Order: sequence, then C-alpha cells, then structure tokens
Amino acid sequence: MSTVRFAPSTVAVAPSTASPALPAADGALEWVAPDALGPRVRDLIGDGARFIMVVGLDERSVGGTGLAVEAVVARSDGGLARLRTGLTLAEPSYPSISPLVPAAHWDERELKDLLGIVPVGHPDPRRLVLHERWPRGYHPLRKDIPAEVRPPDAERTFVPFEVHGEGVYQLPVGPIHAGVIEPGHFRFSAIGERVLHLDARLGFVHRGLEKIVEGRTLRAALPIVERACGVCTVTHALAYSQAVEALTATTVPPRARWARVLLAELERLYNHAGDLGNICAGIGFQPAISRLGWLKERLLRVNDALTGHRYLTGVVGPGGLLADLDPDGLASLPAALAEIGSDLAATVRSIVRSEGVMGRFHGAGVVGVETATALGALGVAARASGLPADLRRDRPYAAYAELNAAPVVASAGDVAARFHVRAQEAHESLRLVRDAARRMPAGPIAAPLAIAATPGASALGAAEGPRGASWIWLRAGADGTIDRLRLRSASFANWPVVAAAVPGNLVPDFPLINKSFELCYACTDR
Amino acid sequence: MPFDVFDRLLRPLRFRPVTSGYPDLAPEVGAPARGLPELDEVRCDGSAACVGACPTRAIVVTDSTWSLDLGACIFCGACARACPRDAIRLGPRIELAVRDPADLVISRDWRVAG
Repeated sequence: MSTVRFAPSTVAVAPSTASPALPAADGALEWVAPDALGPRVRDLIGDGARFIMVVGLDERSVGGTGLAVEAVVARSDGGLARLRTGLTLAEPSYPSISPLVPAAHWDERELKDLLGIVPVGHPDPRRLVLHERWPRGYHPLRKDIPAEVRPPDAERTFVPFEVHGEGVYQLPVGPIHAGVIEPGHFRFSAIGERVLHLDARLGFVHRGLEKIVEGRTLRAALPIVERACGVCTVTHALAYSQAVEALTATTVPPRARWARVLLAELERLYNHAGDLGNICAGIGFQPAISRLGWLKERLLRVNDALTGHRYLTGVVGPGGLLADLDPDGLASLPAALAEIGSDLAATVRSIVRSEGVMGRFHGAGVVGVETATALGALGVAARASGLPADLRRDRPYAAYAELNAAPVVASAGDVAARFHVRAQEAHESLRLVRDAARRMPAGPIAAPLAIAATPGASALGAAEGPRGASWIWLRAGADGTIDRLRLRSASFANWPVVAAAVPGNLVPDFPLINKSFELCYACTDR
Repeated sequence: MPFDVFDRLLRPLRFRPVTSGYPDLAPEVGAPARGLPELDEVRCDGSAACVGACPTRAIVVTDSTWSLDLGACIFCGACARACPRDAIRLGPRIELAVRDPADLVISRDWRVAG
C-alpha cells in the first residue's frame, strides 16, 4: 500500500487527544418568540455553533393548533441546540433568519413551499421545490392535505434571476443534459466567456418523500428514506436509524456499530473513486475517466459480494443491521482492497503529474472560507476550503469514536483542493475499512427497539456521507408511526455553494467546477 | 521521472476487464444477492404479514393466492424479514424482464398443504 501524500497543499488535522470522545449532550427543545428566532441562531453561530437545519412543522397532529418553525444548530462541543417558535394558521409568518444566517435560505424557501409558512424579509422568496405549475395555496406538508390527491396545474411561468446590461447575455442549460445525469436548470448570465451570475434551479425530481413516509411505521419508512438517492444509501439509512434509535432509547450491538463504519467507508470509497473520475470527465481527460470507472466497478463488486447489493441498500436499519455481512465477502475483502488501493494511488499519482490536467484544476471554482462558512458548506466542499467539518470527529457515531478519523483539510478552495481532499479521504477510507473489518467482533447484528417512541417526541440523526453530513429530523406519531420527517442531505446544503463558486470563471469551466462538488439532485429534491 | 515512466508503461499490462461475458456467459450472482422474491407455498399460511411490511404495496394476498407486482417491487427484502414462517426468500434469479407488463405480476396459490 502506497503512503504517498497526493497533495503538497493538503494537511491532515491531528485528531483530538481526548479519545474515545463521549457524545456531547443535546440541549432540550426551547420555545422562543418568532422575532427572537433569527437573532438567537445568529448569536449561537457567533459563539462557534454550526447551522444544521430549519424545519417547518404542522403541530395539529400532535395536539397543537397551528404551525411551527424549528431551527437546529450544533454547538462547538457537538451537542445540539433546538429553538422552536409557534405560529398561528391565520398568520403563518415570522421574520426570516436568512438575512442573519445565509445557510438557512434554501430551508426557508422550502418551508414556504411545503407548509405555507412565510419567512418575512427573505432575500429570495421564489419557489424552490414546488415549481410554478403547482397552484398557489397548495402546501402538501400541511396535515389537512392528502398525499394521494393531485391538485390541478397552474399556468404560471418561471422567472429566472438574470443580470441585464450592455454585453451581458443569458445562457440557459438544462434541465435535460447531454449526459446520463439528473435534471437541473442552470441559468448563466455572462459577459464574453466569464460568468457574472449563476442561478441554479432544482426541484425537478421532487417526489414528496417526506409526505409519503408520514403515517408509516418507523421500520416501513426505512426503504423509502434509504432510496432518497442512489449513492448515499448507507448515509441516509444510518442517519435515519440513529434518529429512530434516539427516539426508542435503543443501543446498537458492537458488531453492528463496526459494520456500520465498514459500510459507510465503502460507500465513501466508491463515491470518491467515481467522483475523482467525474472531475476528470469535466475536462474530458479520458484515460483517467476509464481507469477510475474501472476502479469504481471493482468497488461496487466488493459491495455486492459483502451485502448482495452493489449500492449497499437493505443492510443498515434501526437497531443495527438488517442482514449480516457475507462471510466469504469479508474473507476476500482485505486482498481486494489492497489491490484496489494500490491501483487507486497509482491512478491519482498519474493524474496529479499531468500538468495539463492540474493546470485546469488549479484556481478554478474557488470557494473562500468566508463563503463556505456563511453558506454552511459541508463535507468535501467545506474541507477543501479550510473548514475541518466532519461529523465522524465532531459528533462521533457508530464506532468512529474509537477510530480517530482525522478530517483531511485543504485551504485553496478550488477544484484541485477538492480533488486532493477526495483522493486522500479515499486513502483514509481504505484504512478505516480494514480497521473496521479487523476489529468487528462476533455477536448479534441488531437489538430490538427498546421502547415505543413517545408520540410527539422528536430526535435528530446524522451521518457523514461522501458529500458531507446528512441530517434527519424525525418526530414520532401515534402507534409507532412517523408524524414528520425531514431529510437535509449534504447535497441540499452544498448546491448554493456551487452557485457561489462559478461567478468569475469561464463558462466552459462550469462542468469541471460542478463535478468537483459532484452533488446529487435526487436527495436535494426528495 | 524514470519510475513514473515505467509505472505508466507497465501497470496497464496487468489491467484486466472487470466486466464479465454476460449474456453469453451465465450472470455472476453472489451468495448474498437479492433477486426475485420466491414464495415457499408449503410454508406460507396466508397470514399476509408481508403485505403490511411492503413499502411499495407490491404484494396482495387473497383467500387463495399470494401475488407480487414486480413492477412495484424494490427488492428490499422487508417481506422476507416480516414473514413469521420464513416463507419468502430473495433468491438468485435476476433475469426478470418480460414482454407484456401484465406478466410482471406473479401469482402463487399459497394453500398448498404443508
């Protein structure tokens, strides 16, 4: 196994000395006045807290009379602070927190669409997930709206954000793209070859998953949450399972905790291998695309041998695992990974030694640390811009507290930095998979859910996926069902960062910049 | 860099295609594969526990038949886990294409005596 450090600019942050870290305690839910929500969240973030999400709620199903908005932040010790404000049905509005906390601006647009809660003073109050064909006044996450009834189409058109002036032209791209990718519309305002502004419009694959799971049992919702997208299945199953385990006071047996690490790192590994190739696809560097595609296929076959599923669905579930890992797959794992690791290192080495390639990577799509902080970038997007955010260290789950997973951080914030961070994380994931496979004890793979979830109780679960932290907000209803679920995926958090990375770059660099984030549309739109 | 040149020249020599010769050769299906859900009619007692467990409502159980809509099935295995008599198994069959969409619904008589 090569120990070459791929990136001179990349520094690994030393793991914290306190190990294994104890999970920090989450604060109790705190009710605040509507106009205090924004200033309170801003003050917490000023004290070092990180923005997690804003979730809109219909309280009528849990004994309330109106709607509510809850803001969640993670304090610097990893524990959560949750602030909720109640709103009446007659006047469902509150002062928007986005002017104070820009990271919340898509969350607030979404709750305006889905719950009809108006964040007054929002800088961009356009629709986000429900496009203009949906009629006004239709807010599907309200409890009196049935999931099965389709409202009539409205006849309104989308008004993109455009920059006008002498020499400025508009370049619409998508939602149908040339490659086999998901739908998104990108509206460039450009002068010559330089992009002045990029308006990204998603929501084309909004399937209403959060509405569909309401009323289902905690177990029955798993396959739906897990399939929010195709490539973060372990991440989403893990985040969801941890939320369920928090609601039901369930302790996961040791074998499952280690297997979860193994599976999560295998997911990171095949994603990073494929994404490194996709970055090269952004400039049409064919040798690297095919070699990394070849490596990704080998990793998918490792997944298949271990779990029976190339994309790792149906393994992680509430209480532990749904099925044990295949013994033959486990036995052949170390040898397979050693070979893949050596080929991956050699491939990355040959890419970083191609000056023509690195010349395109360096300086493209720069995201400064201020932008990344303000917009709440997560995962690779954050770590390549100097923010060492990584849930595996900040809020350890599964067996990560015993593994000292050190986040890989670079400071340049450009495509090259995101490439290097991925390459080095893939290297680290190989080590973590080997460690987890070696240290995984025998024993039961799942524990029964200890207690029934209290109706109206809510909890959060999170996991660090290939694109960053995905969070699940979950509230139990009657008889072990789901009252409300919100999935805020890492892609959802990072799309606004992509839009901020593009201005100032050349139009033909957009595919490269976009692929250096390699975000998912499906789990953004849900 | 001489090492680099050697590496670039020699390493591809040991590249082998990772894909297999399917469909000329049989598909490679590993032991843990989750293919077609198969009903053991002898074990099944028509309790319909699988119906409630199915996230896509692909299973219908009547007085006499157990039927599965493969157009709706997502091969998650929730039915197999929910069955109190262990009568469903996601087997190794993965070639499930049909010409007529109606053929996606497979039906079994579960009243076969055990």
